[in-house]
Amino acid sequence: MEKDGLGLEITELRLGLPGTEKMMKKRGFTEMIMASSGSNSDQCESGVVSSGGDVGKVSESPVAKSQVVGWPPVCSYRRKNSCKEVSTTKVGLGYVKVSMDGVPYLRKMDLGSSQGYDDLAFALDKLFGFHGIGVALKDGDNCEYVTIYEDKDGDWMLAGDVPWGMFIESCKRLRIMKRSDATGFGLQPRGVDE
Amino acid sequence: MNYFPDEVIEHVFDFVTSHKDRHSISLVCKSWFKIERYSRQNVFIGNCYAINPERLLRRFPCFKSLTLKGKPHFADFNLVPHGWGGFVQPWIEALARSRVGLEELRLKRMVVTDESLELLSRSFVNFKSLVLVSCEGFSTDGLASIASNCRHLQDLDLQENEIDDHRGQWLSCFPETYTSLVTLNFACLEGETNLVALERLVARSPNLRSLKLNRAVPLDALARLMACAPQIVDLGVGSYEDEQDSESCLKLQAAIRKCTSLRSLSGFLEAAPHCLSAFHPVCHNLTSLNLSYAAEIHGSHLIKLIEHCKKLQRIGDKGLEVVASTCKELQELRVFPTDLQGGGNTAVTEDGLVAISAGCPKLHSILYFCQQMTNAALITVAKNCPNFIRFRLCILEPHKPDHVTSQPLDEGFGAIVQACKNLKRLSVSGLLTDQVFLYIGMYATELEMLSIAFAGDTDKGMLYVLNGCKKMRKLEIRDSPFGDAALLADVNKYETMRSLWMSSCEVTLGGCKRLARKAPWLNVEIINENDNNRMEENGYEGRQKVDKLYLYRTVVGTRVDAPPFVWIL
Repeated sequence: MEKDGLGLEITELRLGLPGTEKMMKKRGFTEMIMASSGSNSDQCESGVVSSGGDVGKVSESPVAKSQVVGWPPVCSYRRKNSCKEVSTTKVGLGYVKVSMDGVPYLRKMDLGSSQGYDDLAFALDKLFGFHGIGVALKDGDNCEYVTIYEDKDGDWMLAGDVPWGMFIESCKRLRIMKRSDATGFGLQPRGVDE
Repeated sequence: MNYFPDEVIEHVFDFVTSHKDRHSISLVCKSWFKIERYSRQNVFIGNCYAINPERLLRRFPCFKSLTLKGKPHFADFNLVPHGWGGFVQPWIEALARSRVGLEELRLKRMVVTDESLELLSRSFVNFKSLVLVSCEGFSTDGLASIASNCRHLQDLDLQENEIDDHRGQWLSCFPETYTSLVTLNFACLEGETNLVALERLVARSPNLRSLKLNRAVPLDALARLMACAPQIVDLGVGSYEDEQDSESCLKLQAAIRKCTSLRSLSGFLEAAPHCLSAFHPVCHNLTSLNLSYAAEIHGSHLIKLIEHCKKLQRIGDKGLEVVASTCKELQELRVFPTDLQGGGNTAVTEDGLVAISAGCPKLHSILYFCQQMTNAALITVAKNCPNFIRFRLCILEPHKPDHVTSQPLDEGFGAIVQACKNLKRLSVSGLLTDQVFLYIGMYATELEMLSIAFAGDTDKGMLYVLNGCKKMRKLEIRDSPFGDAALLADVNKYETMRSLWMSSCEVTLGGCKRLARKAPWLNVEIINENDNNRMEENGYEGRQKVDKLYLYRTVVGTRVDAPPFVWIL
């Protein structure tokens, strides 16, 4: 069964008894992506989507980067441990990479040498020679930048929410991001209505 | 038949160790059955739901070693929801109540709790060996019980488990008087390790042969450990990240030089690449090298390391051309994708596979993830290496055809099964029609395990396999258009197999119910996580597709520990 489009029929609501539709044959890969709701939470994505009937052609669908559960068949333990970015560093110990938007190179800093968020703010300022970062961390408003960090689970978190001890245990890398890039993510300046 | 007293026969049986052979001799006559029963030392149970502990104990009252496997293989790829089953607790409880002198327990894909480990540690005085592979449900507290209570423990081998690391002091729970450690593998633990306790443990373990560390063991600690254990044979390096410390690097090199028995190297979870040179002195002795977790080691460093390893038998990574030209003893190869997005020019292709097949004539097992493949390449590989026992090829993009001819890869895989007469395990991928299954059914006479994904056109494909492969034990299929007709064609076939997995295929609930009725000695499980898909009892079930089907033969009927999302027909 050749499917030129995305097989969106599968998502249509219809009135009628179940079983009155034509019996679907081999499901195209695209249809599976649409139907699949049980994507796993792995960071790694599957390859390019191609429709089942197409031979020799790779068709990029708008959902090209969707995940198919359990594909490729790399066990979850291995996914976690080897397919991460090369920049993964030990959690909670020593040096983490710090990137800043607009700066073409990264820096490394020792989290262990800071005593708290204030210290961290100061250290970040020194690292990039920029006096706004500390402000960003401390009170989060009126600043061009926000400081976020990647935690153990691979999620990007706003720095400053959790106690310092918890932070350094789970912080794997830091990123100083332009606030304008983060709008729409709930980062309202405090006390100011949008 | 029996001209010898039982003790003599028993002594002869002691030399028969393979499970298959022991099974065969037990079938010869009643007398041999009885002798074999009482003298059986090692029991292997490939599916923990095929039998229960009570029956195990009735048949084999004197065994010392038990191997149990729980979840189906596709659980590794997140296809089996959490809570499905595979609990070891009832087994340990039953064994503890009995008088079995358990010495070894090997578990794979089972759910193990701290309670289970504590019970295990207290119930068997001579317990020696614990091997847990891909298990979950326990924490370092469970390990602490094992360390504290198992006086004669020799092996604690934890491979790829999900362990809740409480960063406690489990290592210090080994008593000071405890000196019998032979194997210690805790590479899968996430948290910090008590280095002092570890060093003291290693220092008082003269029999230590295998040591596999986790992330948290830094370079200088590694150097000290190696200095305490020059007799080591198998080493898993945790991490050594800080290249700033060249003094530690030198110390490590000095310690490694003394490890003349070192034959196997693995780990390097995070490694400063140029510290790999510390291992060059021992490379020429290595027979096994597993760098598959070494995300930080790039091509050139790897190549340097491999160049030093002439005796390699098993390896796990890229640099295939170099491998092909230097590792003539290579028997097993695993090439994992570093980039699961399938992009980038660092990906391996059919050329790497062909090079390996041409350069390593002893190769018998391969797991190969790649971007693309051609029939021509597979045909060449088949010609070069007719000795494959395990051939697992995973082309990252489903349904991908021969990238030169745009044809399905039927002919390529056909060549593999035709040439490799001893093939026991096969995983196929890429664009495949029913034709490939015709070849498999025709030629793969020794095949025991087959993994199929995104392949085939009609029920005929599955039927070719079921009818042809007489030795099939585990068949696992996902996202392929096989349905009720194939499933129901020969119900008795499933009695000869351990299990069948079918997910996202065309099998319907009605079909599964018919199967369950026809074959009461099978457990037919429907795994159904999605609430919206709740299986309806009324008339339309005939057409309602089943998302996940797992069936297996059993002598003990329906299991009692199934969670709500598992429906046993």
